Amino acid sequence: MSVLEVRDLTIRFGGLTAIDGLNLRVDEWEIVGLMGPNGAGKTTAFNCITGFYKPTRGRVYYQDRDVTKVPPHRKAALGIGRTFQNVGMVKSETALENLLTAQHTRAGYGAPQAIVGLGTVRQREKELTAHAEAILDLLGLADIRDRRIGGLPYGTLKLLELGCALATDPQLLLLDEPSSGMGPEESDELGERLLNLRQELGVTMLLIEHHVPLVTAVCDYVYVLNFGKLLAEGDPDHVRNHPEVVAAYLGGEAPEALAQTETPDDEPPADEAALAKPVKRTSAPRKTAQAKKATKAAPRRRPPAKKEAS
Amino acid sequence: MAAGTQILAPVAGEHRVGRTYLWVRFVAAAPLVALVLLLPLHSDVYGHVSAYAAIFVMVGLSMNVLTGYTGQISLGHQAFVGLGALTAANVVSTGVRPADGFSFAIGMVCAAAASGAAALLLGAVALRIRGLYLALVTLVFGSVFADAVFTLPSLNGQDAGVPAYRPSFMATEYRFYLFALAMALICAYVDVCVRRTKVGRGLVALRDNELVASAFGVNVLGYKLLGFTISGAMAGLAGGVFAFWEQAFSDKDFTAIAGFNLALTFVVVAVVGGLGNRGGVIAASVFFALVSPLSPFLEWFARQTHWATYYGNNKFYISNVIGAVLLLQTVILNPGGLGQVIRPFARWFGGHKFNLHDSDGGGVGTMEGSSVRA
Repeated sequence: MSVLEVRDLTIRFGGLTAIDGLNLRVDEWEIVGLMGPNGAGKTTAFNCITGFYKPTRGRVYYQDRDVTKVPPHRKAALGIGRTFQNVGMVKSETALENLLTAQHTRAGYGAPQAIVGLGTVRQREKELTAHAEAILDLLGLADIRDRRIGGLPYGTLKLLELGCALATDPQLLLLDEPSSGMGPEESDELGERLLNLRQELGVTMLLIEHHVPLVTAVCDYVYVLNFGKLLAEGDPDHVRNHPEVVAAYLGGEAPEALAQTETPDDEPPADEAALAKPVKRTSAPRKTAQAKKATKAAPRRRPPAKKEAS
Repeated sequence: MAAGTQILAPVAGEHRVGRTYLWVRFVAAAPLVALVLLLPLHSDVYGHVSAYAAIFVMVGLSMNVLTGYTGQISLGHQAFVGLGALTAANVVSTGVRPADGFSFAIGMVCAAAASGAAALLLGAVALRIRGLYLALVTLVFGSVFADAVFTLPSLNGQDAGVPAYRPSFMATEYRFYLFALAMALICAYVDVCVRRTKVGRGLVALRDNELVASAFGVNVLGYKLLGFTISGAMAGLAGGVFAFWEQAFSDKDFTAIAGFNLALTFVVVAVVGGLGNRGGVIAASVFFALVSPLSPFLEWFARQTHWATYYGNNKFYISNVIGAVLLLQTVILNPGGLGQVIRPFARWFGGHKFNLHDSDGGGVGTMEGSSVRA
């Protein structure tokens, strides 16, 4: 079952076509990378998926449900968590308060009960605090519990933001450049962490990432965008050596790239038929990728049972 | 949810001092409580002024929810207070004199409900506009509402005003003060409940960043409306109490200069007290109640110093000058407001360690440029 499926997504801002007929699919328990040079439309794609932008054309399916028009806060409640490129948290609050804020939809009480101040609310608040503290411990951030996040270093903020996204209890996590502001070692650590999170919580992830070692380390499948169009897709090694991707990143022109621009091998048909049928992947690297992952980071726990069924 | 809670075992977190030292706090708080309860007993004037201060505290808390937490500015808050007063007076004056407890209670509830509904209306407008334009719209809303509704002869009792007789069990000023204090405590309680639950966190989140708030699952539009409604209901309740404080509703208190004066004072209270800082706002409310034109405190003070005539001629301006000076002082020197100053003490009373340098902004942070978008 696909957790997220984007079909023929197109968005125009005035005359600018930011995304043009994007198709992508994220299966359950997968970590999928979204790459591309600056201005390729990666964050715009995130904003369309999470409902901040309304796509001009195309559909977004979450767990086989059409969620194209669902507003962002309801998507959060459905289990789509996200982080922002330049740290999306409540600046004036402490780390703990941010984690509590992020648990908005799972608070388990309504606004009227909160205003009247029932005893059950207090009980739930204790549980929410315990959950927030557990997340702080999980990320090794327990010592900044009561620090206002304003003055914290960028890497710490990115990590805490990941914690906030986790606190929303997501089934699908959209991470916008999680490793920005981190050094190589921290970024390796982050890769381990993401793999562990998937192992422990069974979260599916779609991440925008520039840091190639991280992408190769964690991603099962990679989509590359350029100028709003899907340039290439496949497993990380395949994409890394793809001539057009190299050309797009380095600015040159790969010898065969120009000839292929019109109908690249890897690009799925972006016609109206694409809307009707599910996204097909040209290569099917999922199993191999996961086998690879198993050797890389020995699973501490078996993947969720539902995984076996699919 | 299940997966998350299973894996992440709860960790005990105790960051407050033990119960052993709590009695020290109680002893230290005793003089404050005594002051609040006993000072108004001194004389009828003291009781009268104290009740007015309690009303101001309610409005201050109302501004705290709207401006402090939700980050929306309102320069028309006198309209909500006035609507509350108008409603309460009209509901009660149809009954017997002195009012019986039942119609009195109905009047209070109606006052809160009417103002809450009016604020919801203004909030619906505020969803679309922000910043300077919102300030303008609320300003216009306040004055137009006051001029259009409060001057209706059928509602405002014309020159005599609408009488609002107190019920017999509130005959003395002190008893009325206790009632006003109870209402203020209800507002403070609601404020605490809002701040400590997901409601307050949602409001603060949307104040800081609406995108982040909705990514966290906060219904930004709904919560903005909720912020306006809570704030309006509190202001309406304050207005209801005010009608009985004056024992009449008079449109002159809320229209023209008097009304605008009030609206400005309310905003100044919220900022000088410290945006989103409950303790600071309460303290600032009490202070501005004492220097406000309706309060006999400054007048009494002026009589003592033989400035009575001067004060009588200028009383509307004196409170404004004080407010302006304090506002400048706050914005330039002390952005966290009064709350920042009293925060070490407030935290100590709350059971934390005393730390004089813990001036970390107070309630929900310092007044950054982004806090109130205006």
